[in-house]
Amino acid sequence: MIYIKILNFTLIVTFIFSFNVNALEYKLYGLVQPEFSIFTNGDGKHHQSKNNYSLFTKGNFISYLDERDAKITISAIARYDEKDSERRYIDFQKLKYEQYFENYTFKIGNEIIFWGVNESFNIIDIINQSNLAEDITGTKKLGQPLLSLAYDNNYGTIDLYLMPYFIKRKFPSKNGRPRLALEVDQNSITYESSSKEQKLDFALRYSMVYDDYDIGIAHFHGNNRAPQLNINPSTLKFNPHYTTLSQTSLDIQATKGAWLYKLEALSAKDGNERHLGVAGGFEYTFYGIRDSQSDLGLVIEYSFDDRNSNPFNNDSVAALRWTKNDINSTSLLAGMFIDMRGNSNRFIAEYEQRINNNVKLFIDATFNGSIDSQDFTYAFEEDSVFSIKLARYF
Amino acid sequence: MNKFLLILFFVMSVNTNLLSEDNFEKGLRIAKESYESTRGYVDSESDQLMILVDPKGNEVIREISGKTLENDDPNDGDKSIIFFNKPKDVEGTVMLSHTHVNDDDDQWLYLPALGRVKRISSSNKSGSFMGSEIAFEDFSGNDYRKYEWEFIGEEEYEGEICYKLVSIPKYKNSGYTKRISFTDKLLRPRMIEYFDRKGELLKTLYFEDYQLYNDKIWNADTFRVVNHQNKNKTIYKWINRELNVGINKKDFEKSSLLRLAD
Repeated sequence: MIYIKILNFTLIVTFIFSFNVNALEYKLYGLVQPEFSIFTNGDGKHHQSKNNYSLFTKGNFISYLDERDAKITISAIARYDEKDSERRYIDFQKLKYEQYFENYTFKIGNEIIFWGVNESFNIIDIINQSNLAEDITGTKKLGQPLLSLAYDNNYGTIDLYLMPYFIKRKFPSKNGRPRLALEVDQNSITYESSSKEQKLDFALRYSMVYDDYDIGIAHFHGNNRAPQLNINPSTLKFNPHYTTLSQTSLDIQATKGAWLYKLEALSAKDGNERHLGVAGGFEYTFYGIRDSQSDLGLVIEYSFDDRNSNPFNNDSVAALRWTKNDINSTSLLAGMFIDMRGNSNRFIAEYEQRINNNVKLFIDATFNGSIDSQDFTYAFEEDSVFSIKLARYF
Repeated sequence: MNKFLLILFFVMSVNTNLLSEDNFEKGLRIAKESYESTRGYVDSESDQLMILVDPKGNEVIREISGKTLENDDPNDGDKSIIFFNKPKDVEGTVMLSHTHVNDDDDQWLYLPALGRVKRISSSNKSGSFMGSEIAFEDFSGNDYRKYEWEFIGEEEYEGEICYKLVSIPKYKNSGYTKRISFTDKLLRPRMIEYFDRKGELLKTLYFEDYQLYNDKIWNADTFRVVNHQNKNKTIYKWINRELNVGINKKDFEKSSLLRLAD
């Protein structure tokens, strides 16, 4: 916790100091987004609620100092949720100070770092913790406090990250929908590492562009972002246990005209066991379909993991993305996730269009087909849902 | 006296060349000279405003700012970086392009909502830029290397005698089969008519508000596009354009995207 305090103190001092600069160059923008969800299977497996409203907001502040050789970024998100207390939170996704030198960049503070190339199976992305209360599939992240140094030259970029404080995974509460089969007891967390959340995690990444290829090689050592969830027989809750993870990964994208080929692979030692994961696929876009401005993209990805316990050990997704390329940036994504080991499948659709210069409409749908009772997603079998979101940008 | 003879000889030989030139060579020469008159800008920085007008007269505004870097390599294209400001939902998005003459460009997009830099396919050079009537390929439409040229005569346009040129794209994914352009005697393109893949007149681009930059380069600060098929219009304006500003070349690399994004 002391690291967080030092980080925040440093940032706040820098921030206040920055206001003494006469011509402070800054930018401020964000959004407010009311959301409404209707579940189509009544109250659900865990007697949650048939519908839900929620309010999401995001604010960004960016300021340049030192003739643009330094930058302060604050990007905060917050949500209020009617039913789920774990969805009432504020998170500083970014709260950082950066200093640029000729070939080096130094950074301190909260940051979101994405690793990988896939659309769906982002198996190597490890720096940030997932916020499952925000999105049960883990695509939404929480800001990670870190120190980083990047060095780049004509051959590529090397990034070094030190992460002095661990952010715990966020789960939906017992009123959340969807939620896991049991409640997660955030007061009964254990770690493999004796330093617990103060373990100094580190990561190293080398990335480069060579012709049509974008390549990244990375290594991470630290607390695993995904905890084991063990049932506590006395409370009948899940107790999270965070093992220590050493993960080496590779990601490659080849861009060949309208074809994108993607591959992510990792070998990791998690606790005492080593495992292997590979995920990848392709994306192809038909441009100007039927002599219109519309594009139609096809995405197919597959994920393999040699651990039977991993929920994505033999899964695939096939999706179509229609982009109208009109004045309102209308688009529709429709896809099917299939667990090829069991018999589970899930259909998703995401529609969006701009209403005017400052307002955008999103309609999302998730339909759960048959779900194997052995699958962890069985807990959300009855959580098929329609959501409407209206973002007002400022 | 020797000098005089030399000059006379030179002038005569040039004239002989010009006389023996056919209409294809003449078209190519004019297009090349027109393109070369816009070179030597080194780099540039500008704000850009786009007004999209539908047939009913409804207007939508787009705002971006951009930087470009001239490529010294005569066989390759320039580099550009675009910052999106309006509409507000795309604010913070950044697009980096390394253009190539007759091949797909290399393009990366920084998406602030995902905190992610994505390499994207760019084989849709014929696609609409931000829902406008301008296609990606139109921005480099003055690059003579992208077309086969033919001079088809001289014609008056807005009171000036212009060269009338036909150009046929070499790029296989171009959205056009043919363009007819009017280029004035200062070698400035004034108007281009575009013919779609079916050979029908699609749109006309008018080059307006020509300004002489750094005492040597003419740039049209307004592109006005009228689409004859869907009746939409696009007005594209460059504001605060500056050439030869001394931008760091590294700004045009993928590794700089996260730093430049705000």
